[in-house]
This record gives sequence, structure tokens and C-alpha cells, in this order.
Amino acid sequence: MDHSNRTSRRNLLAGTALAALAAALPKGAAAAAGGEIIFVQGSNPPSLDAMSTSSQASRNINMNIYETLYGFSEHTAPIPILAETVVVSDDGLTYRFPLRKGVKFHNLKEMTAKDVKASLERYRKVGATSNLLEAVKSIDITGDYEVTLTMHQATPTFLESFCSPRAPAVIIPEEDALAEAGKTSIIGTGPYKYVEYVPDSHVKLTRFAEYSQDTRMPDIDGFGGRKTAYLDTVTFRIMPEPGAQTAALEAGEVHIVEEISVPAGKRMEKNPNIKVYKNMPWAMLTLIMNLDVAPTNNPKFREAVQVALNMEEVMALATAGFYELDHGWQYKGTPYYAGDIGKSYYNQHDVARAKKLLAEAGYKGEEFSILTDSNYTEHNKAAVVIAGNLKAVGINAVINQVDWPTALKIRLQPTGWHGWTLMLGIEPYVGPVALVSTFTGKRPLFVKNDRELDVLYQELVIGKTVAARKVTFAKIQKRLYEFFGIIKLGDTGQMQAARSSVEGYRPFRFPRLYNVRVKA
Amino acid sequence: MLRFLVRRLLSAIPVLAVVSVVTFLIIWIVPGDVTAEIAGPDATPAQIVRLRQELGLERPLLERAMVWYGHLLHGDLGRSYLLNRSVAAAVIERLPVTLSLVALGLLLSVVMGMLLGILAAVRHNTWIDQAATSVALLGLSVPDFWFGLLLIVFFGVQLHWLPTGGFVPLTRDPVGWLRSMTLPSLTLAFTQMGVLARMTRSSMLDVLGQDYIRTARAKGMQAWVVIFRHALLNALIPIVTMVGILTGVLLGGAVVVESVFSLPGVGRLIIGAIQRRDFPIIQGGLLITAATFVFVNIAVDILYGWLDPRVRDDR
Repeated sequence: MDHSNRTSRRNLLAGTALAALAAALPKGAAAAAGGEIIFVQGSNPPSLDAMSTSSQASRNINMNIYETLYGFSEHTAPIPILAETVVVSDDGLTYRFPLRKGVKFHNLKEMTAKDVKASLERYRKVGATSNLLEAVKSIDITGDYEVTLTMHQATPTFLESFCSPRAPAVIIPEEDALAEAGKTSIIGTGPYKYVEYVPDSHVKLTRFAEYSQDTRMPDIDGFGGRKTAYLDTVTFRIMPEPGAQTAALEAGEVHIVEEISVPAGKRMEKNPNIKVYKNMPWAMLTLIMNLDVAPTNNPKFREAVQVALNMEEVMALATAGFYELDHGWQYKGTPYYAGDIGKSYYNQHDVARAKKLLAEAGYKGEEFSILTDSNYTEHNKAAVVIAGNLKAVGINAVINQVDWPTALKIRLQPTGWHGWTLMLGIEPYVGPVALVSTFTGKRPLFVKNDRELDVLYQELVIGKTVAARKVTFAKIQKRLYEFFGIIKLGDTGQMQAARSSVEGYRPFRFPRLYNVRVKA
Repeated sequence: MLRFLVRRLLSAIPVLAVVSVVTFLIIWIVPGDVTAEIAGPDATPAQIVRLRQELGLERPLLERAMVWYGHLLHGDLGRSYLLNRSVAAAVIERLPVTLSLVALGLLLSVVMGMLLGILAAVRHNTWIDQAATSVALLGLSVPDFWFGLLLIVFFGVQLHWLPTGGFVPLTRDPVGWLRSMTLPSLTLAFTQMGVLARMTRSSMLDVLGQDYIRTARAKGMQAWVVIFRHALLNALIPIVTMVGILTGVLLGGAVVVESVFSLPGVGRLIIGAIQRRDFPIIQGGLLITAATFVFVNIAVDILYGWLDPRVRDDR
């Protein structure tokens, strides 16, 4: 498959050009190192072993400590980080990754192919999303600074999956590779290195003075690019109480808050000492149906639900007004966005048509139980508005609100629920394969498989080019708007806030605390 | 005295046994488990079953109970599913935070509550009595999380006098520790002092009406000597009993206060464990908390005997 050879050549040329541009930048562009930043998040990281957890709280910290061979750019395209490039064989069976030389771990050991092989082998055993290496038959060292992955069969979407930051396939020293999940020595190659973790209090990182900067680009780009650790220390403070988080920010005790409430954000926008950031889109709010029980096993009934819903009302209340209405099953502006397909079915709020569809479905007032949880406000508020919309068309909607672990237990049961409100954040971000895999397989989110979606998923996985996969994804989006197993309600955002003294902070899928400075 | 102490310590064993059994049964009844946290919302039933098997959650209740009690007899409270450390280590490293908070909260609530109670009793049926009673009632009525946030906004955000949250270990920086504990312990104390103020007031009113107090006054004894040496000492017995009960209430209240002020204490540990169904932490954490409460009450009983020789002699 020579397209990858072309890609790598193009990467190399682009890298050289950007490096030249970077060299041409005035020296003053690089500010002096120093200072401390305190970033606030609501929950503890379950683990700082990046491979073994898919938690956002962990990812926030881990992606400042560790790096991967490849990662997503700002626009969700795979870019090399610890790899120089990737060379894919014509038959698509081997992926050769030449590595960047001189990259140092936090223990000052240089990264070689041995570390990469050991890390990826460990990922197959303990990785929270180890299935992303399922397609890999073997991992071989083909040079001191080169590893080659051999596939069971050609898997064109491999590189995209490999870039997934959900539970990233980070590179750690070979000595750590035998450690059980959660028991590594927390050593990576990233711009900050681990100092201490006091659960329920904080995680402290310090600048890695010997960080091997990727000079191929002039600036950071998504998960990669030219990273500079300006700060001496980075502290992630764990503060569960939202009111206390904003108070600490207003008092100047902390610098950035991961997520603030929308009303607090609107109030703080007037404060000259604080800057509010809008990270949009962050997640998709959805209503998932249980296809295994009546009345949701009837496509006409599901269509009636889709037609009855007023997405604007649902999203406005669920997100306190911080939302975007969009029908797409990929975020706008990303490579797989499928245009207007399904748009005519989105946000109809057509009471008369919904009633007609219910009559066609032979609906006799059976209960429609909406499962939701108390932990995520968006989930439970959306459930309330959905129930109201559905009652207005004559559906006997009831809400079953429980806590998060109980909701997850109930949703795994084949009965006892009909609809379930859930935000999908990282899955749509990672790309169509990650998203659609949750709709297929042995246990799709909507309990029962849709044969057509299963077939389309297989077509998506073997699509040789982005263009080919985009065509397939458009078919998938069309099918989702015919089948109504899952209803997209809208896109939600993440409102963040920082002291105005913080410079260079750009919201992303995790807080990039490199290339950030704090004015004295 | 020694026999009394041994008897009280032995009586703690069935109490703790009941606590552990009840905790075990509650955990068994509560739906959901830690696999939800580990595997995430799109896990398949097969993945969940595999995880449950790995964690031993598929075993029958009796077998799980026997394993747990077997370990407990060897002094092992088990290992957290999520924290990658033993339950004992997780609780013990947070215990100084909670004990600091409860001890300071108790001290402040006793001092403020008793002063308000004494003031109200001595100036019975005056505006001072009414004002003191109103403050006590306000403390009882105000939710602790709200009062805590109010203190944060006023002393942290507006005046910048005290930190809005976080914990500084006493061993690292005693002044920092005191600063970090002031607002949380004040929150805890304010919401609990009302009970003590009311108890002190009624106790003092009983005692102040006694003949020996009148005699002491008639002898021309100074007012403060009459109040603090003669009246208060005799009014202390019911108050000390209340302090024992209050410790339990403060341990419970610490959960909310730790969350509001971002203190890494045992309360937050247990709440987090309940939310994520980290069963070993729930079991071990509650057992240690119950043990703390039981031992504080034993200490109160001993103090009770010291304060009232009649009680000591009865034993």
C-alpha cells in the first residue's frame, strides 16, 4: 500500500519545512522556564499507569507524563510523536516504525526498540483497550531504533485505532514492562515527570529538564508537536466540590479549573482576572434504546420517539444552555463528518407525526422506562425533558434514576429498561471505528444487533483509504437514522476557566500543561 | 478501674462484629459493583463477568465473608480494587486529616457551645439569653456544606485570610496546618455547637437553682468562681455524655466538610468507595471509623467516672 510511503515522505517534508520555520522564529519566542501551575479536577485518577485505565481523570495527568508512538493531531489525523514515521507495506500486513533517536525516559535512559516492543507487549496484556492491538500478530525489533508490527490481516484502520488516547499505548522503559496493571514506576518520556500522588489531595509533576523535544513542528499539534515544559511544577489538585473549585480560582489559589458550571462560567466572564474557555464539542448526548423488549423492539415506536423529541429543549436544559445542535455522528470539522445525512430526521418535535407513528406501531400505552443516573447532571436532566416530550405524544414514559454503578448494572440486563441517557465523549472523538464498534459486536449498546450495521462495520474496518471509509461511514449514519436504536440529542461542551495570568493554554481532550506559562 | 476498662474493651468486640456484618450485608444488597468503574459504560456482559471472576465477586456471600473475616483475624483488612494499596494503608494515611478535623471541630464546638450555654443560663430570660439561644439554633439549622461555602467566599475569596481548601500536614508546616484546618473545623463546630449550647444551658439552669449555689453566693464568693468551679463542674456530667455522642456526629459530618474543603480524609475515601463500589474500602473504612467511635465513647466513660466519683464507685 504505497499511500503510506507517500504519507511518510510527505510527513518528512512537512516536518523539515516546519523545523526550518521553527528555527527561523525569534529567540524571544521561547520564554524563560519557571513557576508553578495548579490545575483542578473533580476526581482522583484511578491509576497513573496510563495503559491500564481509560479514565479521563487519569488521562488529564498521564498525557503530560507519557507519550505514544503515534497520536492524533488537532484535527484528529494520525501524526508521529515518538516514531519518526510509519512505513506500511504494500499488502498492508506490516507497519514499520523507525523511532526518534535520543529520546530519554525520566530515568535518563534512552528509548530504544526494546522499550517499545516491551511496552506494546505489556499493552496487549494490561491495556484497558487492548483490543486496539488485536489485529497485530507480532511485534518485532527490526533495528536498534525500529519496531515492526505484523498484522494477522490487512487492517487499514489500524493506525487510527493505534492513536486512540482512550487508554493510550504509551511507551515506558523495558524494566517496567513486566509490572502488573497499576504497578509501574510511572516513568515516561513526556515533558513532565511524576513526583507524588496523594489520593483525594493532589498529583505533583515536575519539569523534565532532559525532555527530548520533537522539533519537526513549530508548535504543539493535538497529542504531539513541539512541546516545551516552561513550568517548574504542575500540580493537579483533586477538588470534588464545584463551588469550592470556583472559589479557589477566584481567590487565586489555583490556576485552571477543568470544568465549571455554565452559570459560574457566565458570571466569571465578567471577572478581569479570569478567562473562560469553551471546549466545544466535548461529548455527544444520546438516548439509547433497548431493542430486546417491547415497545422499543418495534422500529416504528423508536421512530416515533425520534420524531417526538425537541432536541433544542432537551439540550438547553440538560447542559444549562451550553450545547450545539448537530445531527452528525462524528464531530463537525473532523475527517469523517458525513454532511446532511439524517438531518431531516433530527430535532423534528412533530407531535402529530409521532402520534401517527405510534398508531402504526400499535402502541397500547406500555411503559417506556428511561434509565438515568444521579452522577451526571446532563443524563438526568435530559431524561426529564425526554419524558416530558414523550408524554406529550402519548407515550407512558417513566424515569428510573439510580446511581452510576447501578445504572450500568441495569443496562447490562436484557430487561428492566427501555431507554438510557448516555454521553459518548471519547468514542466519537477517536473516530468512526471506535464509535460504531459500540453499536456492533457481541453486545451492542442497544442490546440486540442490527445485521445491516454489523455488515457496514466490517466494510468500515477494511476500507483502504480515508475517502473509502468516509463513504461507508455516511452509509452507517444513514442507517442510524433509519433504525433509531440510538438517538443523538446534541453535542455538549466543557466550560473551563483559568486565571488571566495563564498564557498559552488551549483546551483540548486533556489539559496540555506544556507550552503554558504563568505570568508573575 | 482496670476491670472496668477490660470489660468496656471486650464489649466493643460484639459492637464491631455487628458493624462488620451489617456492612457486609448492605454491600451485598446494593446493586452494581466496581466493574462498572473499571470497564466503563460500553463493556460487554462477558467482560463484566470476567472482571467479576478476577476480583472474586462471583463467589457466594458466605465464601466471601469467610475469606474476609479470615483475613481480618490476621489483621488484614484487604486490598482496594481501585487504589492499588491495602485498605489499612489507605485509611491510615487519611486518618490524621479526619482526626485533626474532628478533634479541632470537637474542641471548637465544646468551647463555643459551652460558652453560649453558660452565657444563656447566667443571663437567663434576658436578651443575651435569647441571642445566645438564637445563635445555637442557627448552628443547628444551617446545612454544613452551605455554611462551609459561605466561610470560603468570605474568608478565602473576599478577605484572602485563609485558604479555600486543601490540607497541609502538621508535621510539614504547623502554621499551614492550622490555617488549612480553621475553616473546616469552624464549619463542623458551628453546625454542632447548638446541641451542646442547649444542653449546657439547661444543665446550668438546673444547677444554678440549687441551694449550694445560693449558699456560695451568700458567702460573697466571686461570680465566676461560683459559675465555673461550683456550677459548671456539676453540670458537666450530661455535657460529657453529649461530647461522646457528638464525636460520632462529627465523624459523620466530616464527610461533607472534607468534600467542601477538598480534604483528603477518611470520609471522602469512604464516600468515593461507595460511589465506585470499592467494597474492601467500604468494609475496612467503616470498621475503623466505628472502632474510633467506640473507643472515644470508652474514653468518655472513663472521664465520666473521673468527674463523678459516685459513678466510679458503682463500678
